[in-house]
Amino acid sequence: MKKLERRDLIAAGGLAAFGAGFSQTLGRMAEGVLGEQPERHFEHGRSPEPEFSVDPATGALKMNPKQQVSYTVCQGCTTLCGVRVRIDKESGQVIRVTGNPYNPLSTDPHLPMKAPFKESLISVSAFKNKGLGGRSTACGRGNAAMDQMNSPFRVLTPLKRVGPRNGGRWEPISFEQLVKEVTEGGDLFGEGHVDGLAKLRDLKTPIDPNAPELGAKVNQVGVVMSVNDGRDFFSQRFWKQSFGTLNYVGHGSYCGGAYRSGSGALFGDMKAMPHGKVDFANAEFAMFVGTAPANAGNPFKRSGALVAKARAQGVLDYVVVDPVLTNADNRAVPTRSHWVPIRPSTDGALAMGIMRWMFDNNKVNTAYLAFPNQEAAKAGGEPSFTNASWLVIAEKGHPRFGRFVRGTDLGLVELTDEERYKEKDPYYVLGADGALADAGTYMGAAQLEATQPLTIGEKQVAIKTAYQLLRESAQKMTVKQASDITGIPVDVINGLATELTSHGRKACVVSHGGMMGGNGFYNAYALMTLNALIGSLNYKGGFAFNAGGFRDANPGPRYNLATFEGEIKPKGIPLGRNVPYERTSEFKKRKEAGEKPYPARDQWFPNAPGLATEWFTAALNGYPYNLKALVLWSANPIYGIPGLRPLIDEQLKDPKKLPLIIAIDPLINESSAYADYIVPDSVMYESWGWVAPWAGVPTKTMAARWPVVEPKAEKTPEGIAIGMESFLIAVAKKLNLPGFGPAGLTDKDGNPVPLERPEDWYLRGGANVAFAGKEPVGDATDEDIQLSGVERILPLIKSTVKEDEWRKVAFLYTRGGRYQPLNQSQDETNPDWQTWKFEKALWLWNDNLAGAKNSLTGKPYSGCATWTPPAFCDGTPMRDVYKPQDWPLTLISFKSPLQNSYSIATRITGVHPDNPAIVHPQDAERAGLRTGDVAKLQTPGGEAKCTVIVHEGVVPGTVAIEHGYGHKELGARAHTLGGQRQPDRPDLRAGININDIGLQDPTRGGKHIWVDSVSGTSVRNGLPARIRRA
Amino acid sequence: MKHSPSPTPAGGAAPSASRRNFLRGIPVITAAAATVPTSAMAETSKHHWGMLVDVRKCIGCQACTVSCIQENVVPEGSFRTVVSTYSVKVKDSVQPAGTYVLPRLCNHCDEPPCVPVCPVSATYKRADGIVVVNNERCVGCAYCVQACPYDARFINHETNKADKCTFCAHRVEAGLLPACVETCVGGARIFGDLNDPNGVLRQQLDANKDKLKVLKPEQGTKPQVYYIGLDERFTGKVEGQGTLWKPRATHG
Amino acid sequence: MSTIVETINVAREVAWLPWAVQYFFLIGLSYGAFLLSLPGVALRKPGWEVISRLALLAALVCGLSAPVALLADLHQPGRFWHFYAYFSPKSWMSWGSFFIPVYLTGLILYAWLAFRPLLQQHADENGRFATVARWIALGGHESRGPLLMAAALALIGAVLVALYTGVEVMVVRARPLWHTPLLPLQFVITSLGGAAGLTLLFNRFGPSRDDAAINRRLAHTVAWMQLASLLLGGVWLALGLSGISPIHAEALAEVGGSNNWQMAAAWAVVVTAITWWLGWKRPNSSLLLALLALHSAWMIRWAIFIGGQEVPKTGAGYYSYQLPLGPEGLLGIIGTAGLWVFLFIVITYVLPLDRIGRPTPAKA
Ligand SMILES: Nc1nc2c(c(=O)[nH]1)N[C@H]1C(S)=C(S)[C@@H](COP(=O)(O)OP(=O)(O)OC[C@H]3O[C@@H](n4cnc5c(=O)[nH]c(N)nc54)[C@H](O)[C@@H]3O)O[C@H]1N2
Ligand SMILES: Nc1nc2c(c(=O)[nH]1)N[C@H]1C(S)=C(S)[C@@H](COP(=O)(O)OP(=O)(O)OC[C@H]3O[C@@H](n4cnc5c(=O)[nH]c(N)nc54)[C@H](O)[C@@H]3O)O[C@H]1N2
Ligand code: SF4
Ligand code: SF4
Ligand code: SF4
Ligand code: SF4
Ligand code: SF4
Ligand SMILES: [Mo]
Repeated sequence: MKKLERRDLIAAGGLAAFGAGFSQTLGRMAEGVLGEQPERHFEHGRSPEPEFSVDPATGALKMNPKQQVSYTVCQGCTTLCGVRVRIDKESGQVIRVTGNPYNPLSTDPHLPMKAPFKESLISVSAFKNKGLGGRSTACGRGNAAMDQMNSPFRVLTPLKRVGPRNGGRWEPISFEQLVKEVTEGGDLFGEGHVDGLAKLRDLKTPIDPNAPELGAKVNQVGVVMSVNDGRDFFSQRFWKQSFGTLNYVGHGSYCGGAYRSGSGALFGDMKAMPHGKVDFANAEFAMFVGTAPANAGNPFKRSGALVAKARAQGVLDYVVVDPVLTNADNRAVPTRSHWVPIRPSTDGALAMGIMRWMFDNNKVNTAYLAFPNQEAAKAGGEPSFTNASWLVIAEKGHPRFGRFVRGTDLGLVELTDEERYKEKDPYYVLGADGALADAGTYMGAAQLEATQPLTIGEKQVAIKTAYQLLRESAQKMTVKQASDITGIPVDVINGLATELTSHGRKACVVSHGGMMGGNGFYNAYALMTLNALIGSLNYKGGFAFNAGGFRDANPGPRYNLATFEGEIKPKGIPLGRNVPYERTSEFKKRKEAGEKPYPARDQWFPNAPGLATEWFTAALNGYPYNLKALVLWSANPIYGIPGLRPLIDEQLKDPKKLPLIIAIDPLINESSAYADYIVPDSVMYESWGWVAPWAGVPTKTMAARWPVVEPKAEKTPEGIAIGMESFLIAVAKKLNLPGFGPAGLTDKDGNPVPLERPEDWYLRGGANVAFAGKEPVGDATDEDIQLSGVERILPLIKSTVKEDEWRKVAFLYTRGGRYQPLNQSQDETNPDWQTWKFEKALWLWNDNLAGAKNSLTGKPYSGCATWTPPAFCDGTPMRDVYKPQDWPLTLISFKSPLQNSYSIATRITGVHPDNPAIVHPQDAERAGLRTGDVAKLQTPGGEAKCTVIVHEGVVPGTVAIEHGYGHKELGARAHTLGGQRQPDRPDLRAGININDIGLQDPTRGGKHIWVDSVSGTSVRNGLPARIRRA
Repeated sequence: MKHSPSPTPAGGAAPSASRRNFLRGIPVITAAAATVPTSAMAETSKHHWGMLVDVRKCIGCQACTVSCIQENVVPEGSFRTVVSTYSVKVKDSVQPAGTYVLPRLCNHCDEPPCVPVCPVSATYKRADGIVVVNNERCVGCAYCVQACPYDARFINHETNKADKCTFCAHRVEAGLLPACVETCVGGARIFGDLNDPNGVLRQQLDANKDKLKVLKPEQGTKPQVYYIGLDERFTGKVEGQGTLWKPRATHG
Repeated sequence: MSTIVETINVAREVAWLPWAVQYFFLIGLSYGAFLLSLPGVALRKPGWEVISRLALLAALVCGLSAPVALLADLHQPGRFWHFYAYFSPKSWMSWGSFFIPVYLTGLILYAWLAFRPLLQQHADENGRFATVARWIALGGHESRGPLLMAAALALIGAVLVALYTGVEVMVVRARPLWHTPLLPLQFVITSLGGAAGLTLLFNRFGPSRDDAAINRRLAHTVAWMQLASLLLGGVWLALGLSGISPIHAEALAEVGGSNNWQMAAAWAVVVTAITWWLGWKRPNSSLLLALLALHSAWMIRWAIFIGGQEVPKTGAGYYSYQLPLGPEGLLGIIGTAGLWVFLFIVITYVLPLDRIGRPTPAKA
């Protein structure tokens, strides 16, 4: 009997196991019986009905009444392409997103604006194969980004921190409470008194009475934003013109700032930093050095589309000089696409080697270089010119050594001290006859060599031309040396130089993120100088300049969005110290006291734009001064700046060091996680805005952003969705700031109009866009409005702009922006020239640079392209500190072709879940690593665990990490909001972020991150490193 | 000195020999096993839909992959199309390695091995050439998944039926392009009617006859997705180091 | 160092789940055991009685649980009737859906007819569940004619099932590992070996457990099958290595590089060899032998089905399968085992192993 009982138990166990094992089967069977949810169609499955249909015979368009199709802008990355958003009307959910055919960032060739909306849909359909030629696209990320709208990690109500900073706990608060607390301040967290924005807006009291040049206390409120997503002018109006702080900075210094500064040096403007791009459609040869088209680059998608077309159908051969193999290469076109591996941070040597070759082989375009101004150049058949012939004082010990010879130096013009050495003070060249001539007016080819001294102030002073100085610099480098430094064979360098000089003007060199090394500025300056030496700027097929947009925030033509009564002009020394040290009280006092003024307390960056890279350490260390409040608007410096987090984590958590942090962001990112308050912002297709492409479009382009779906965030008491604009409007109202409120704006006749809602700004900005230029845009038809979903906002448009404006503004929204026709890319008078030209000098010699000193050493900077090895701020080479025997490798990062720094799109991670470190087989063998192994990656800045992938797609000696993974926030950590805990998503934490192991600068006491000493830009390429098995 | 080769028509031509000497020696994909598409299918249907993938134009952006997912509500972790990406060691050249990308999807084979195996005739080739699954009949046995030589099919874990690329038949029937074609950034995917002699697809196929290849031609499946720039090493199962990708979650 | 490294690709999941392995394993054991039941039960060959009866029990338990596993491998099990509504003559699986009921009908009838007298005996002895036994026994008559007819039906079914289960897999050209003409044979051989092993296992717990002749006969059957299996494997390998048969060469090339597969293959060879040696030399080590034989039969199916699906058809390298814990993996395997145990116990309630395994006293 006993035995039987045991059997019974076993039988029961078996039955139970069966039940458990087959539960799913049984469930599915039951479902089958009870009637499962049918799919939409027996063959089409769950695919939703198409948004419209086009009759293949007649081309007749029929809209699907259940769906809306509208044109707005993608924010999947900083390219900000125009997109077509398809929405299910009933649920309000976005179904899919693809390109806007009117927008050149998404379409090539783009559709003329006069084509009605209806035609734009037909243009992407199969009718007559139109959609193949008129293909308008969104990239992988752009397709995936829509999921962000419904992200479970979105912040939809104002949040206030609970417990310590970065603790991951928040309490939702009302909009009123938010505005009250941040403006009035008080004992907000039970940690003591915090000043509110009202008190902090002190426009009079100096920060430091002993250093009045720092400006008023209002400067202690700083704003970090990312990139102009079409809403920046609104934000700037508030913070700079209305609130009055000087400190407002974007992400440039940790984006591709080194490139733009180096390029700015050539273009003679290191604050606005113009840069050119490849004219893909017409170029024959292009060198991408430190930028990889189709892998990243801006505009990402357009460059990708154009490079694909050019290599398959056009005439382009291109070389990508990069430590890593990327999607810029394509083995299916091995004769068109080339990858040349280079050691990180050695590009300057390559450029100087090529330059040397060009000088040695007479391949420098001296005929072009000889024109000293644009008029002379044009008369000589050139669309651009350089300062190659301008004269430079070359007398050692002369107070103006390295500076250009100017009219006031020669006593040829009389100017006030203010005006001296500015625009009105002419430059000089030696004319063909050898006589001194005004560079600005000399109509002919000037001499490129100056051999005789010049009499300046009764003294014989040695002079040289910019050309000579550059040549001397180039002669310091042989091709062989360049080869040894870069690791590129001599043959290949010679070959690159030959190619670059064998295609007339249909060639150029471009760069970007690859310059973010410890010598990035000069690397970039040297590379860009090559373009000047072949003279391809402004040529069709050459080094092309961006056409820009139609500006909304202008003083007109319809509304004044630029200036207003009571506007403030912020003054002082910016937090990032991007002004000459020599202008400070510190310098003057030390000089007066007879002390050596150098080294300064810390580095200054006179030739740099605003530096977010310097901000945090500056604000926390109090040099030049502390911040009292930090505003982070959709920016993520803690994730994006190498070495920053480990350096400042503790200090940033301390409210005594930085009393108030406000983030305006729809998500909790690595930076806003430290905030005291988070103000929800709109996401992508919910936002208003006017966006011009960053670069790379030869025709004027201005895309319109508008809420094509209802914003998800909670509403203000006025019924407006909470966001950056509604928050700033409410604060302005509370603080009674100028330029906002019932009479915040003025129309073209000077009559006041309100600025109380976001639309007041953007729709009137739209009127400016619509009426800009010679002729306003056309009118939207009723059909356009009805089909394009603009109907939804029509009442707003009609009630905001004037009778003669509304159809034009609506026209812009039906087209998703304003676009110059493609056939206007090239110059009307000369088809070989681009329409939009850069018409000022290209500076082979930059005397602002030559006249500046490194404030840690007092040593001057080189005034022209040169090779310098990667170094810390005081000039100490990195390899003197971190020796190759200890740190045998260098570490770089490169953009993910699929991800962006904030794409949390699981549709992307679904294809590419993380970012294994790429290790060259030789290095892998040395470290005993194989593909799939877990390794420890170390730098002097820290250590990280990573998976390894071993292949030859990286230069030996370098480990490469794809950027965009290794998140600690944006879903990687579950925060608690009120009582609600966010979902835990380990997959969103996958991979590593090289910035968590970025370096500090030992020559700055280890208190700052490593930046390039000229441009102040973060160093994310060429970090000393080692790797071993974990 | 000025060098301006004449523009080449769609499909391109080899660049002049004077160039590229410094990087010479790069092996060019040799043409082999070129398959010319069968001309018009039996006149049972007006259309015979097909695709041409010009690998030279693919940038590996996966826009196709993601758009397909969004358009066709494909569950996480499953794919009707994907662009396989490879780092390929290059021999006899200065360039040590190169990138190779390969968009993959259902080939809408004219002799589809996935069809005869189906025990309930739930999957079939439509008269217009599109191979589909009747989701009202499919029993989810996955036999067709095994039989497809291209890994183009899978079991959809949300519907529990066989799933695959439909050439976006719902869009094609509405006079639109498939989602992946519509959004192909490089313009690598060309979709159209093989029976339309004036269509872009047919013209491109004809113009590039000697460059055309299909995947696994030896299987006799007669794929209707053609490739330009298909490297022989990638026509079948690729010999090399496999992906580190792992399915994120198991379904249960 | 590979010259090609796949940096982005996605893995295809295994679409025939461990359920399928269970099905092919159980159905193989069932028809194998059925064949072993013929000499003693249908043909009344001397010395085979106990073996064949135990084998019949094995065929029954396995045969009843197998289709349930098959059902579970369908992602739409509720639609199983579609098989019958939409007959698809080009599909071996479709044919299989008709063969299975033929076989099972024959088998059940045959088993009932064969066990009726024993059931009656059990009922008469008033064992546990005697009422049920009596009810099923329906009088307990021996009916030789119908029994032979049922056996014939089952035999036809078994052959068809053996054929279709092999060919269904073999025709899949897309998977070179499957697409070899030897595969159906391999299935049959290992089915027989496994069935002998299972019978041996049953005997181990029956009254004839120490009957050396029975044990030796079963052990030798196992050994022969292992030997055949090894030989087949050798032929497979030789064909593949020599390149005489491109099909085999392709199959070998496909899996040859996989570490997992090499390990599995080496393991299979070693275990098979050991089993063969044990069967031949140590026929009395019945428990170990039985388990090893079953293991071999299961292993080869696992390696073919799961291992075969670990080979990407287009991508590089191998997908690494990890057994999920839920119904699609471990729980599924345990579930079928549970069902099997349950069926075994329920059947042996009314027909105890003791009785099946006891030789019928010779009619004096
Ligand atoms: N897919 C994708 N596209 C994007 C973005 C994205 O996140 N993903 N982001 C957008 C943004 S914000 C920007 S700024 C642009 C940036 O676009 P890019 O500037 O083109 O991108 P990066 O990856 O920053 O840098 C370019 C290349 O420089 C290489 N590199 C690193 N160190 C060195 C070096 O020392 N020398 C040389 N020669 N090369 C080096 C990297 O390997 C990388 O391939 O892309 C935009 N587009
Ligand atoms: N190692 C390494 N570091 C890098 C780079 C690299 O290649 N390698 N790239 C650098 C470059 S080029 C750049 S530009 C910087 C970028 O760095 P940042 O410009 O500082 O930050 P992003 O990561 O772009 O983040 C912007 C934030 O905006 C928010 N956001 C996302 N979507 C939306 C939306 O739809 N609406 C609103 N309102 N907000 C949104 C999110 O919180 C997101 O974190 O990083 C740099 N850092
Ligand atoms: S490049 Fe892609 S992600 Fe970036 S804006 Fe354009 S479509 Fe969006
Ligand atoms: S690719 Fe595969 S699924 Fe598509 S038709 Fe061919 S065999 Fe069938
Ligand atoms: S999964 Fe569906 S379509 Fe595929 S073979 Fe089975 S029943 Fe047919
Ligand atoms: S045709 Fe449609 S279903 Fe097929 S891969 Fe493209 S998007 Fe996906
Ligand atoms: S969308 Fe086009 S270019 Fe991008 S990966 Fe797909 S096929 Fe290639
Ligand atoms: Mo950037």
